[in-house]
Amino acid sequence: MPERIAQFITIGGRVQGVGFRPFVYRAARAHALAGWVRNANGSVEIHVEGERAQLQGFVDTLLNEAPPLSAPGPLAIRPCASTRLRGFSILDSTAASEADVHLPADGFVCADCLNELHDPANRRYRYPFINCTQCGPRYTLITGLPYDRPMTAMRGFTLCAACRREYEDAGDRRFHAEPIACPVCGPHLQFVSGDKTLSGDETALAAAVAQLRAGKIVAVKGVGGYHLMCDARNDPAVAALRARKPRPAKPLAVMFRDLDSLRDAVHFDTDDAALLSSPARPIVLLRKRNTNPLSAAIAPGLGEIGCMLPYSPLHDLLLHDFGGPLVASSGNLSGEPVLTANAEAQARLRHLADAFLHHDRPIVRPADDPVYRRIAGAPRPLRLGRGLAPLELELPAALAQPVLALGSHMKNTVCLAWGTRAVVSPHIGELDSARSLDTLARVAADLQDLYQVRAATLLVDHHPGFGYRRFARDSGLPLAAVWHHHAHASALAAEFEDISEWIVFAWDGVGLGEDMSLWGGEAFAGAPGRWRRAASWRPFRLPGGDKAGREPWRAAAALLWETGAPAAFAPPALHQAWAARLNSPGSSSVGRLLDAAAALCGICTEASFEGEAPMRIEACASDIAPDGTCIDAAALTLPLAADAQGVWRSDWAPLLPMLADATQPASRRAARFHLSLAEALVAQAKQLRGDTGIRTVGLTGGVFQNRLLTETAALALAAAGFSVRLPQRVPMNDAGLSFGQVIEFLYRQHTKT
Amino acid sequence: MNEETARILLAHGNGGRLMRELIAGIFARHLGNPLLDTDADAVALPRLDGEIMVTTDGFTVQPLEFPGGDLGSLAVHGVVNDLAVAGAEPRYLTLSALIEEGLELPTLERLIASLADAARAAGVAVVAGDTKVVRRGEGGGLYLSVAGIGVKRAATLDLRRVQAGDAVLVSGPVGDHGIAVMLAREQFGLSGELRSDCASVLPLARAVWELPGLRFMRDPTRGGLATVCHEIARATGHTVVLTQASVPLRPEVVSVCEMLGYDPYYLACEGRIVAVTDASAAGELLERWRAVRGGEDAAIIGRIDEAGARVILETELGGRRVIDELEDDPLPRIC
Ligand SMILES: [Fe+3]
Ligand SMILES: [Mg+2]
Ligand SMILES: [Zn+2]
Ligand SMILES: [Zn+2]
Repeated sequence: MPERIAQFITIGGRVQGVGFRPFVYRAARAHALAGWVRNANGSVEIHVEGERAQLQGFVDTLLNEAPPLSAPGPLAIRPCASTRLRGFSILDSTAASEADVHLPADGFVCADCLNELHDPANRRYRYPFINCTQCGPRYTLITGLPYDRPMTAMRGFTLCAACRREYEDAGDRRFHAEPIACPVCGPHLQFVSGDKTLSGDETALAAAVAQLRAGKIVAVKGVGGYHLMCDARNDPAVAALRARKPRPAKPLAVMFRDLDSLRDAVHFDTDDAALLSSPARPIVLLRKRNTNPLSAAIAPGLGEIGCMLPYSPLHDLLLHDFGGPLVASSGNLSGEPVLTANAEAQARLRHLADAFLHHDRPIVRPADDPVYRRIAGAPRPLRLGRGLAPLELELPAALAQPVLALGSHMKNTVCLAWGTRAVVSPHIGELDSARSLDTLARVAADLQDLYQVRAATLLVDHHPGFGYRRFARDSGLPLAAVWHHHAHASALAAEFEDISEWIVFAWDGVGLGEDMSLWGGEAFAGAPGRWRRAASWRPFRLPGGDKAGREPWRAAAALLWETGAPAAFAPPALHQAWAARLNSPGSSSVGRLLDAAAALCGICTEASFEGEAPMRIEACASDIAPDGTCIDAAALTLPLAADAQGVWRSDWAPLLPMLADATQPASRRAARFHLSLAEALVAQAKQLRGDTGIRTVGLTGGVFQNRLLTETAALALAAAGFSVRLPQRVPMNDAGLSFGQVIEFLYRQHTKT
Repeated sequence: MNEETARILLAHGNGGRLMRELIAGIFARHLGNPLLDTDADAVALPRLDGEIMVTTDGFTVQPLEFPGGDLGSLAVHGVVNDLAVAGAEPRYLTLSALIEEGLELPTLERLIASLADAARAAGVAVVAGDTKVVRRGEGGGLYLSVAGIGVKRAATLDLRRVQAGDAVLVSGPVGDHGIAVMLAREQFGLSGELRSDCASVLPLARAVWELPGLRFMRDPTRGGLATVCHEIARATGHTVVLTQASVPLRPEVVSVCEMLGYDPYYLACEGRIVAVTDASAAGELLERWRAVRGGEDAAIIGRIDEAGARVILETELGGRRVIDELEDDPLPRIC
């Protein structure tokens, strides 16, 4: 008789909410093993008994055939006593106290479910909330862990007999699919317009589609919040949405039925297609075709459109029935978190939407759509959200105590970190609004509850005016402050294994620097915990402070005045105020240099949304350089000299006459400006390599979301023998700041001891 | 006129002849009243017909004279207004002047004359005073320290009576003083018509002292409307919600703020009242204010909300912007 042995296996990583236990169950049955599997906090525990060879085969299956949504960590296997079990079963979850919790992200609707969705014979035919163990919402409906139905927003929906059979049948692909639902027992749609309310999934959906066809704006409740949707081909509809929001120029995302329908509107390759179709179903910025069916008002003045595919069965049906691309703009007020509750959306979007398509599955926490742009050969996240959040990352060393990093004031995310783990929240928004601050407080509490970790210290930016300062003070916890650009640099460095000496360019809008001026064009040498400012730009003073971020003409005036030149377009009194240093803080921001250039070229003098001027000047330059090479434009060489503190500074002054030369087309001036910035970057890098011997260069900060600048610089750096690194998982804009604060704090801790 | 007679010397503060002449020639001449005895060490006041309220304040402003006011009238209004919003009828002031060596005597005289006018208009008498001279460079021309004595007339004004649902009102446009002084100080070419709101709010306060439902009043000065709202929020634990469209602002103030990047809600006022009242009494309060000179532009600007102890500005688009407590120097945050 063959030897019977028993093993106890634990597997961490992303193994909950991804169909892992049913997979273990099937694998055990296939290998004729007895025992059980259960969810512990964050890990899966397996007890198996059987023949040695079968056990080996079982472990191979676990390692090699895990479900696509899962990301199992290493297996821990130890022998244990046989309990002479018969058969294999799935046990109830245990809530252990020492937590190693992993929170599953929201998934798209999988191919199997899509087939059923469109199969008239299936009992879930056209049911907008179809899902299975391999797909459907997770993060946005979990109320607590371990991930079981009573701990989700589905607890209020009692399973019908048919769903219960599937849920309990280990051979079924909906075995323990926690959000399982069907038309009999699950959530339903509701259509509201004025005082008219329509129930019934088909009725509500048809009414919404009719509204969209009629050029109306419909607020549609999705997985992580509401969208404002309208016909993306209909000029008056898009114009109405812009007028009501009001959002005169900010690009709008568009949802397409499938890759085929996308083809008419934008250029994309197989990598783009893979990214668009990935489980997070992100918005991807893609270059629009010269002739395309979309309204010109979707992304005026820009070369790209944010495109996405339907990510839930509801959106699939909506796009299918509507038969064309739909604008899918976040259902929120500018800069605020996306709205999630029916009544609140109804009240706060009333002036924006003609009608509402609600459903009664509660959204426990908001998650906006994630956004990617491919830059320098890889997709770069610009915003974390549904499907990507919470973003779980490994720390390069262990923290002494749990910390909660509160990130930036703009594009806020928070990051909870403990031991060697870090979790970045989805995009929260700009912290000027009460709703953003409320969301920040809720997400902070939520992450700590779900992961069962209490932060002992809060990490904050040095800027005293960031919106979360009061939240931080009121918490009573000790605060540790991190410099803005150190956090940017550290977030990038921590994405790579070899954290040694780097040169990091942190170029962005503005952040408070160590000399209390507004940095934003800095190069650091060193490593996390000990960055040294080694290069920057000639400083200039921004008239009107924060106003300069919204009115690019101010930055243009600042540069002209700094060189003693007049700025005819600026009020003389402002010049007086600037000369008297009234609300005119010093800065070295490249973001503001881009603003100034856009204004001087006449491309954008007033910005209607954050980042408009840099986006428009990039688009303008790309007009003559669609592939990132500028045919007819040469860089201006900018002087580089050390200041009194030994910081190398590039001087932007030679750019001014070139930018203001109206005899040249704006696109050419814009292109030369980009090339000159890239050349200045390379010159700084070479200087610092000479000074320090460091050959690894990192590029981070919101400015490097500019593909033309970044790709030009990266190519030239590589040609000069540098190894170039860009963020891949963590946004390079301020959404990555919370993670960077954790890294900076971690290394400060380690260098101290 | 030669240099010695035209300017304040250190000797004006040494207790000798020059000082006596200064007090007699400027202070006593303008401020004189039956109770003021510049030779006495202390003054006896007649018995007052009610509870006595006392306040004290120091005054400094650059420039000393600005469109719509000057340091002298500012000092009277500051103290009179503090008493008025606290529900007291102001009666007496004391004055302590710290004069910087080198201040022109005609300037000093103008300021003291203006102070005297303001006191007369408010029905208060300066009953005690003192002068000191500080060395050149150690004072901003003139500092005034004023104490005020009044009689309590409104019994029930108290921050602790503020409740959720109450209405918030302001007696006129905010920020005029801050901008007028700033423009005068920086000598911009655009001082234009904008004048400081520096004025006594006594007539406005008197008009509503007896109004049932009035909970609390304060005169916004440094830190402006936003700071008063924060005081209310902190003391009550409630949220003060302002509706942006209803806060009265002069177009000149708006355009200067737009240009220089300032937030008008933080700008100083010197002649306004913020009142909190039972919502049902808000209309009556508004009517009474609008009938008084200086209250024509009064407005209901917001409400007291349940919990949160913060200040929120509701924008026309339905946004709810958090108004932070004033920082030293608001630094840009757009990254
Ligand atoms: Fe930044
Ligand atoms: Mg006072
Ligand atoms: Zn599925
Ligand atoms: Zn069912």
